[in-house]
Amino acid sequence: MKYQWHFEVVWENFPIMLSGIGLTIALSVLSMLAGAVLGMVIALARLSPWAALRGIAYGYTELFRTTPLLMQIVWVFYVLPLLTGITFSPFYSGLVAFGLNIAAFMAEIYRAGITSVGRGQTEASLALGMTEAQVMRRIVIPQAITRMIPPIGTMWVSLFKDTSLVSAIGVTELMYQARFLAVDTYRPVEIFTVCALIYFVITFPQSIGVNWLYHKYRTRE
Amino acid sequence: MEWNFAAVFQHFGYLMEGAVVTVQVSALSMVIAIVLGLVVALVRMAPILVLRMIASVYIDIFRSTPLLAQLVWIYFAFPILTGIRVSPFVACTISLSLYASAYLAEIYRAGILSIASGQRHAGLALGMTPRQVMTRVVLPQAVTRMLPPMGSQFITLFKDSALVSLVTLQDLMWSAQSLAAFTLRTVEVLTVVAFIYMALTIPQAFIVNHLHRRFGAD
Repeated sequence: MKYQWHFEVVWENFPIMLSGIGLTIALSVLSMLAGAVLGMVIALARLSPWAALRGIAYGYTELFRTTPLLMQIVWVFYVLPLLTGITFSPFYSGLVAFGLNIAAFMAEIYRAGITSVGRGQTEASLALGMTEAQVMRRIVIPQAITRMIPPIGTMWVSLFKDTSLVSAIGVTELMYQARFLAVDTYRPVEIFTVCALIYFVITFPQSIGVNWLYHKYRTRE
Repeated sequence: MEWNFAAVFQHFGYLMEGAVVTVQVSALSMVIAIVLGLVVALVRMAPILVLRMIASVYIDIFRSTPLLAQLVWIYFAFPILTGIRVSPFVACTISLSLYASAYLAEIYRAGILSIASGQRHAGLALGMTPRQVMTRVVLPQAVTRMLPPMGSQFITLFKDSALVSLVTLQDLMWSAQSLAAFTLRTVEVLTVVAFIYMALTIPQAFIVNHLHRRFGAD
C-alpha cells in the first residue's frame, strides 16, 4: 500500500496550530517563573535549621518527584476544585500543576548547587571575619549559580516538551490542536508528523543551547 | 466535602490490574531500550561518519520531541502509513522503548567517554588489542558509572508510562480515570492512585540513590 500524502490540510489549518504554539510557549514560560520562585522558598525550607520545616519541604519534593506528571495535572484539574471549591480554567490548572511540579525540581537544583560549594570555602571565609550573610552572598551564591544554570536548562527543555500533557485536560496548546485537527480532517499522518516537526524545530535549538551551557559552565575543581 | 474510600477499596483489584500493566509496559520497554540503546551508542561511535550522523539524528529526534507526540504518531499515524496494525500494548512498548533508547545511548556514550583516554593508550601500549582494551579496561569502569543514570532513566520511564493511558492502554492511570468516572469518587480514586504510584516509585528511588552513592562520580 502506497500512502498518498496530503499536506494541504496542514497548511489550511496552520493558523490553528500556530495559536497552539503560542499557548505552549506561554505555559512553559509562566510555569518556569512560578516554579523558580516557589522552588526558592522550598529550597530555603529544606536548608532551614528547623527539622519540621525541613521535613515538610522534603515531603513536598518527594511527592512531586515520585508521581507521574500526568497524575499531578489530572489531580489539580479534577480534584483540587472539589476539595477547595475554587475552579480554574484548564490553562490555569495546567499552570498550577506545572508550577508545583517545577518548584520541586528547582528546589533540588538550588539545594544541590548551594551544597556543592566546598564546605572549606565557607569555613575559610568565616575565619577571615566575614559574616554568614556575606559568605552566602559573596562566596557561595556566585559559584552556586553557575553550577545551577546547566541543570535548569535541561529542566526547561523537559518542561517545554511536557507541556504537551495539558492537552489531556483540554488546554488548546499545540498537541491539543494537533489531536483535534487529526480527528477533524481525518489526516492524522500529516497532522501528527507536522506537529512533531514543529516541536523538533523549536526544541532542538534549545537542546543545543543547553549543551553549550554545560560546556561553558563545566565545573573545574 | 466528605471523604468516602469505600468505592476505591471495593474496586481495588481493578486498580491493581492497571498497576500490573504499568509495571509490564515500563519493565519490558526498559529491557528493549537497554539493548537498542547499546546498538545506537555503538553506531554513534562508529568509525564511519554516515553511521555516526544517522545515530545522532535518531537521538536528537527522540530527545527533542515530546513523548506524547511520539506516542500518538506511533499509535495513530504509523498503522495508516504502513498498514501494520498492532495492539495498544505493543504500540506503547515500541514508543517507550524508542524514546528511552535515545537517552540510554547518550548515557552509554558518556560512560565510555568518561574513561580517561590515557588508560586506553596505556592498554594499547601494553600490547592489548582495541577489543581487549574495551572489554577489560574501559567497559568494567564505564558500566559502574552508567548504572546510576540508568536507574534514574528507569524511574523517569516508569512515571512517563502514565501517558499510555492517553492512547487507551489500560494502565494504572487509565484505570484511575475510568474508575473515577464510574464511581464518581474522583477525589478519593485519584488520591489513592497517586499514593499507589508513590508506593511503586519510592523503592526504585531508594535503589537509585544507593547506586548514586556507591557508583556515582565522587
